[in-house]
Amino acid sequence: MLTVGLTVNGSFFQIRTAPEKTLLDLLRYDLGMTGVKDACGGVGECGACTVLLDGKLVNACLVLVGQAEGREVVTIEGLADEASLHPIQHAFVEAGAIQCGFCTPGAILAAYDLLYHNPHPDDNQIREALSGNLCRCTGYTKMVAAVHNAEKELSHDC
Amino acid sequence: MIAEPSRLDQTTTIGKSEPRKDGPAKAAGLALYVSDISMPGVCYGAVLRSPHHHARILSIATSAAQALPGVTAVITAWDIPGKRIHGPLVQDQPALAWEVVRHMGEPVALVVAEDKTSAEKGLAAIQVEYEPLEAVFDACQALQPGAPLVHPSGNLLTEYDVSSGDLRSGFAQSEIILEETFQTPRISPAYLEAESALGYFDEEDRLTVVVSSQKPFDDRQHIAETLKLPIEEVRVKSAVVGGAFGGKEDSELHILAGLATWLTKRPVRLVNTRWESFLAHPKRHPATLHYKLGARADGTLLALEAVIHMDTGAYASYGPAVGSLLTEMVQGAYRIPNMRVITRVVYTNSPYSGAMRGFGSPQAHFATESMLDILAARLKMDPLELRRKNILQPEDHFFTRVQVGETAKSLPLILEQASAARERLRQSTPAAGRLSGVGLALSLQSMGLGHRVPDDSTNRLEWSPDGRLVIYIGAPELGQGMQTAVEQIAAETLGIPYQAVETIDVDSLVSPNGGVTCASRMTYLVGNSVILAARKLVDETLLYAAQKLNLPLEQLAYDKGMVRLPDGQQMAVSEFSGRAAEEGLILGASAMFSFPYPAERTPGHLPIGMPHIMHAFGANVVRVEVDPELGTVLVKEMVAIHDVGRVINRASVEGQVEGGAVMAIGYALTEAMQLKEGQRWVDSFTEYLIPTALDIPDKIETILLELPEISGPFGVKGIAEMGLVPVAPAIANAVFDAVGVRATELPIRPEIIAFSQPTLS
Repeated sequence: MLTVGLTVNGSFFQIRTAPEKTLLDLLRYDLGMTGVKDACGGVGECGACTVLLDGKLVNACLVLVGQAEGREVVTIEGLADEASLHPIQHAFVEAGAIQCGFCTPGAILAAYDLLYHNPHPDDNQIREALSGNLCRCTGYTKMVAAVHNAEKELSHDC
Repeated sequence: MIAEPSRLDQTTTIGKSEPRKDGPAKAAGLALYVSDISMPGVCYGAVLRSPHHHARILSIATSAAQALPGVTAVITAWDIPGKRIHGPLVQDQPALAWEVVRHMGEPVALVVAEDKTSAEKGLAAIQVEYEPLEAVFDACQALQPGAPLVHPSGNLLTEYDVSSGDLRSGFAQSEIILEETFQTPRISPAYLEAESALGYFDEEDRLTVVVSSQKPFDDRQHIAETLKLPIEEVRVKSAVVGGAFGGKEDSELHILAGLATWLTKRPVRLVNTRWESFLAHPKRHPATLHYKLGARADGTLLALEAVIHMDTGAYASYGPAVGSLLTEMVQGAYRIPNMRVITRVVYTNSPYSGAMRGFGSPQAHFATESMLDILAARLKMDPLELRRKNILQPEDHFFTRVQVGETAKSLPLILEQASAARERLRQSTPAAGRLSGVGLALSLQSMGLGHRVPDDSTNRLEWSPDGRLVIYIGAPELGQGMQTAVEQIAAETLGIPYQAVETIDVDSLVSPNGGVTCASRMTYLVGNSVILAARKLVDETLLYAAQKLNLPLEQLAYDKGMVRLPDGQQMAVSEFSGRAAEEGLILGASAMFSFPYPAERTPGHLPIGMPHIMHAFGANVVRVEVDPELGTVLVKEMVAIHDVGRVINRASVEGQVEGGAVMAIGYALTEAMQLKEGQRWVDSFTEYLIPTALDIPDKIETILLELPEISGPFGVKGIAEMGLVPVAPAIANAVFDAVGVRATELPIRPEIIAFSQPTLS
């Protein structure tokens, strides 16, 4: 067993865990953050378990728990504050970019990462940013629209 | 006063893109799918699956696995208390195989363990002795004499032979006769949430199974039969469903979760991994479609003979019904006076095929709409003009002898839009080194389950004590937006705000049986049921108000969530529902709506499930860019035109069209679940390529026509499948326009284009 200390959504956790576990397992099963999804069986194909690790977008299923030691993780649960959704989450709801919702947390985090680095992306940049997140319901079109809407709202905030 | 559904103007919420109410929870990662539900002491269930395509089981030894620490139980077919075989239409599928396995991935045993690691060790310790048998993977080969028998009854599951007119004289009058064979691939629904189920005992010690399913009430029936329990002793609940597309109409995993929970008396969760989802849940049928089409030199269609073989795999699932709808859809949007369609649904040792978005229609449309363009090219006609010449008119009959009716009035409008769209798309110039092509296809899609199949839905409405409207919906939301549409219909009907309506997910303890969520029928079916229930609810409310106010019933009226008294004073519904609650009463009403199959429109000469009588037409126009050397195809622009009867929620309808269109781009260009070197099936997203955000057109324009369906709530027809149906043939036709290569096989792989000689005439 291994003891791992990491910060998740601003809170510090110290967890005893099997070393072969992935960050996905740790987040979902040890910390109950079930917004982090598994859709491909933990092989990095679908992007449903996308999280931010020290500000970098990763598939949590491809990160071993030991690699998360001392690092900072943001999951979908960390995006909204108590009172309201993050503008990107709100934009996904308003634009009709959510159907079954299973890919939504990962796609929103991918959009968050994009807008952090590139506040005014064009369509191709948005599609590139979402291309690691498989969605079978929406055809991605309304997701692209949602990211543009969020972009406008976020730039108003500045 | 209740809003009259036939009044199409002056609506408040109908037509608006109201945001779905489950959106915020889904966006926040808080929506609970089966795998997310916390359950103390839950066991990990894992299925031992056949490594063989076809084999006799000689023995199954479980004692070594059973003895392992952390393993709670190892379950085989011999442990099943009740029926060991199930199936939605044909009872042919073992919950756990005991004699023969008929496809790779078939369940053979079930391990229940304290955790995943113990379960995996348990699986590895089960010893199954197999005697491999010869296997067959092709529907045509499976019908040859001497082919391996998948089932003792023979490999031919169902055969349809439907005709109208006189084929011989039709071909005799034809000045041109074309023959072609088309092939379509095996497709996985590939929803992001794989199949899953969670069994436990509720607070009243009742077996409860939480499912990700299109048909919880049928699951309940199958679980009860497997466990030999009275149906009332099984409770089924719907979790948030992570996509379905027809693939969650089979009860396999739900039965196993019920079985494991019942036998171990422990909560047990079963979640398929992605490869299990590929191998052991239904696929879209691969089909081989041989067409012979006869026409006059001016393009008038005279005769069509189609012989179709569908690979239903090892088990029937919905195969017979898919074969029936495929047969009906061969005609497409066209008047063809002499027709014969023979469809054979055939068992093989492939993973089983069943319901999937379009239900036979995508296969039929690929062949029919490609065939029309082949004919147009031979006659040097404009493909659109050829279509215009042959479209169905309201007074025409389908070859099933159902009159087409008013819905055909959409076809000239669709062609007009398609023509304009084609002109627009032709203006675009391709990137350097690529050739641009524009193609189109029309579509026909039915709604509902078909004649003589129970096709109804019951739903319940209640006023909460604080005056909100609560819908106890009887069929699950799958992500498509049915709940939102139904809430809008309820709100409009009762004249209350959309925000004042909420929906309770299916729970067999409290929900009525609303039927299977499928067949592009739910907004129509549940919407109609809710309108009927709303009328009863108003009657109930007024009756209660009359009693409480001591006033004659006829002096009271309902208007927009208020009860109007004779003196003009208005009292909110909550004043009565609140008071009723204090008395332990609920103001509520249920209503069933049955899909109408009027006798005069339903010829009796056809097999069960035929014909469908409600249809909608549409079209898809696409522009592709093809790299002629590499053979790669990019779908650059798309215009989707659909008659939906009435738009209830524009964003949802567009979402169905866009999602269906992109799913169909995968069908057209990349997706195929094949056997690799005769050994194993493609079973991962690395080999099975569904479209990513980079594979979508730069622009999808959705043009919605609203020719009301007179029997539909506020005029609704349906939309869930139509958006997908015409896209693959439109892409094939666009590829031909670009490079002169006619793809008769899906997916249109680069090598088909790169190694083909153009057939431009």
